[in-house]
Amino acid sequence: MTAPTGTPSAALVSANPRRRRSTAVAGDGRRGAFAGLAFVLPGFAVYALVMLYPAVQTFLLSLRDWKITPGAESPWVGLDNYVKAFGDPKFLDSLVNAVVYTAVTVPLQIAIGLFLAVLLDSKLPGRVAFRVLFYLPVVTSWVVVSLLFQFMFSSGDGPANFIAVDVLHLADENIGWFRERWTSFIAICALGVWKGIGWAMLIFLAALTAVPKELHEAAALDGAGVLNRFRFVSVPAIRGALSVVFILLLIGGFNVFISVLLMTGGAHDTQVPLTYMYDQAFKFLEFGYGSAVSFSLTAIVLAVAALQYWWTRRRMAD
Amino acid sequence: MKTIKHLASVAALGVAAVALAGCTGGAAAGSSAIGEPGATDISGTVTFWHAFGSDSSEVKTLDEILIPRFEEEFPDVDVKAVPVPYDELHQKLITAVAGDQLPDLVRADIIWVPQLADLGVLEPLSASMPDFDDIADAVFPGPLATNLWQGEYYGLPLGTNTRVTMYNDAVFAAAGVDVPATFEELAEIAPALKAAGAYAFADNGASGWNVLPWIWSAGGDIVNDDVTKASGYLNSAESVAGIQTLVDLYTDGHLPPIILGDAGGMSTSDGLAQGAYATIYDGPWMYPIFAGQYPDFVLNDAPVIAGDGGSISVVGGEDIVLTRSSENKAAAAEFLRFLLSEEAQLEMAKVGQMPVRTDLRDGLTAINPYYAQFVDQLANARPRPATPAWPQIDALIQDEIRAAIRGDKTVQEALDAAAEQADALLAQYN
Repeated sequence: MTAPTGTPSAALVSANPRRRRSTAVAGDGRRGAFAGLAFVLPGFAVYALVMLYPAVQTFLLSLRDWKITPGAESPWVGLDNYVKAFGDPKFLDSLVNAVVYTAVTVPLQIAIGLFLAVLLDSKLPGRVAFRVLFYLPVVTSWVVVSLLFQFMFSSGDGPANFIAVDVLHLADENIGWFRERWTSFIAICALGVWKGIGWAMLIFLAALTAVPKELHEAAALDGAGVLNRFRFVSVPAIRGALSVVFILLLIGGFNVFISVLLMTGGAHDTQVPLTYMYDQAFKFLEFGYGSAVSFSLTAIVLAVAALQYWWTRRRMAD
Repeated sequence: MKTIKHLASVAALGVAAVALAGCTGGAAAGSSAIGEPGATDISGTVTFWHAFGSDSSEVKTLDEILIPRFEEEFPDVDVKAVPVPYDELHQKLITAVAGDQLPDLVRADIIWVPQLADLGVLEPLSASMPDFDDIADAVFPGPLATNLWQGEYYGLPLGTNTRVTMYNDAVFAAAGVDVPATFEELAEIAPALKAAGAYAFADNGASGWNVLPWIWSAGGDIVNDDVTKASGYLNSAESVAGIQTLVDLYTDGHLPPIILGDAGGMSTSDGLAQGAYATIYDGPWMYPIFAGQYPDFVLNDAPVIAGDGGSISVVGGEDIVLTRSSENKAAAAEFLRFLLSEEAQLEMAKVGQMPVRTDLRDGLTAINPYYAQFVDQLANARPRPATPAWPQIDALIQDEIRAAIRGDKTVQEALDAAAEQADALLAQYN
């Protein structure tokens, strides 16, 4: 997509394109802009109320030693809370945990989600039922499945220990999953992947459905095998979807919260930024510091997402 | 969808923060001073938040016996008792602080009182209640001390409890050993208990409630008397020895890994009743629970296991606090006095709430024989340090001690780290 192509009316007035066109655009533009604004405004108002205003307030909070009592003085501390955050080993640990969680869960969700989407895009018997089944985890409650996974990864004879000990023989005796940092994260990541696959699958499926069958048939006639048809017909068609899924999963990965809160509560160095923020603000009443933690996370996620956006744009332009 | 949910939860927290930020204006100081006891001209509504389980016998006693009796005496006063689940009460209180919507009276966990006092939302009873000293003199000193913050008492104890040793006699009989009274005896008999298939001791966490009896009994401490410093106390040789006892038990397989906290381990009560754990520490509420779940099990108790510092346990329970914003302090204070009266305290004792009045000590065993052990243990039981920073210190003590139990650190390293972090937290309030 480059510059917008001329509208029919613009093409008709090519005799004096410059002048006529500029007035037409100005008139249409003003009316168009007004109509556009009228449509955008309600949405923007809601966005401003529930996202923008809280975000700005959170930022202002993060610059103070915030006291929650009405009327109490909340001294201005400038960037002190941010300095504290980036020198706080527990916050830095929580960032490492979030990076690990994201690095593990995002590629797995994309790979498995794409695989399932390709499978369910073909004419399988009962594919609607399968689509529903794979999407089901997405719509279940985080609270319910967190507790369910906590039970599955029980230190006793739970399903996870059955697989790890009796089937795969990875350990001689039952593993206490939630007694250590990284074994805890195996359980947390397993939940994240299981719950996220369906969503990735759905987006990929939508993109794949949009690929005309004729393209596949033509490629097949030209002698392309299954893999080549996937690579040269399907992949270019879903590249946009891939980029969107990647960015949104990345943001989601850094914002992991409910599962960690419920499964470990941050014990054994398993804090992630949002559970740490939650503890600081709502348990310890350090609202200023909690806001700084949450704003730092936002800044990091924005930076990573921007980098990734820029990188995909560049690759798509190539 | 997942992402959107995440964003939504972040937004929700943001909104909560804003809701808090949006509330400005002076904290209402409330009205009507606390009068002398026994005033007859009081009236109005008194709202009382508590965390008794909504179907519990405590609520029945409160709603069906105590409040009607009080309202009979003071017909113009209407007491509205609101049960809030314990897990939600702290959050609800904090939200109410920010929104200036606190009730008149709160039955608060003893560890919340300094935090609420520091927020400036509680009435300093020692300054504004004419008969404060009389009531304070009548209650156990340990529970009373939980209300002290920077020179004033911001509440009074309402119900108290402590932890004692609970043991399974059948396990000791099978192992052919006696119930341990000291750390040394515990270490000596642990192998025999292990041979009989039982862990010597079990606990389900490493927070202050769990580990302080070990530290104090070993002769250690947590902070200095002014609650300004943990270094030299929390990491003293005695404190280290207390925690080392636990770590050694764990290393030798005499302490089950539920102390590290995870899903699926056998709970301390199930383990004790089923003979998997020889001893646990727990409170008086366990008697009705055991009676309900394991009617055939005979529960025995003993003082907490003694070290060089004696047998010293940790004070639990609830305080009652009056809010500064209360519009009806006179009536609220009168209801507070009533809840601390002999009559009300004895009624609550019948449903498992241990009275705080020392003069009721001797009559308690007539109500429930098992109170005897707790009354003895309470004589020298200590409260957790009264500081708004306690929730944070508690969390880091648990983290550091768990690191020592897992073997990631020595006990000394863990407690040094905990003391250093605790010092920084305490320094905010100096």
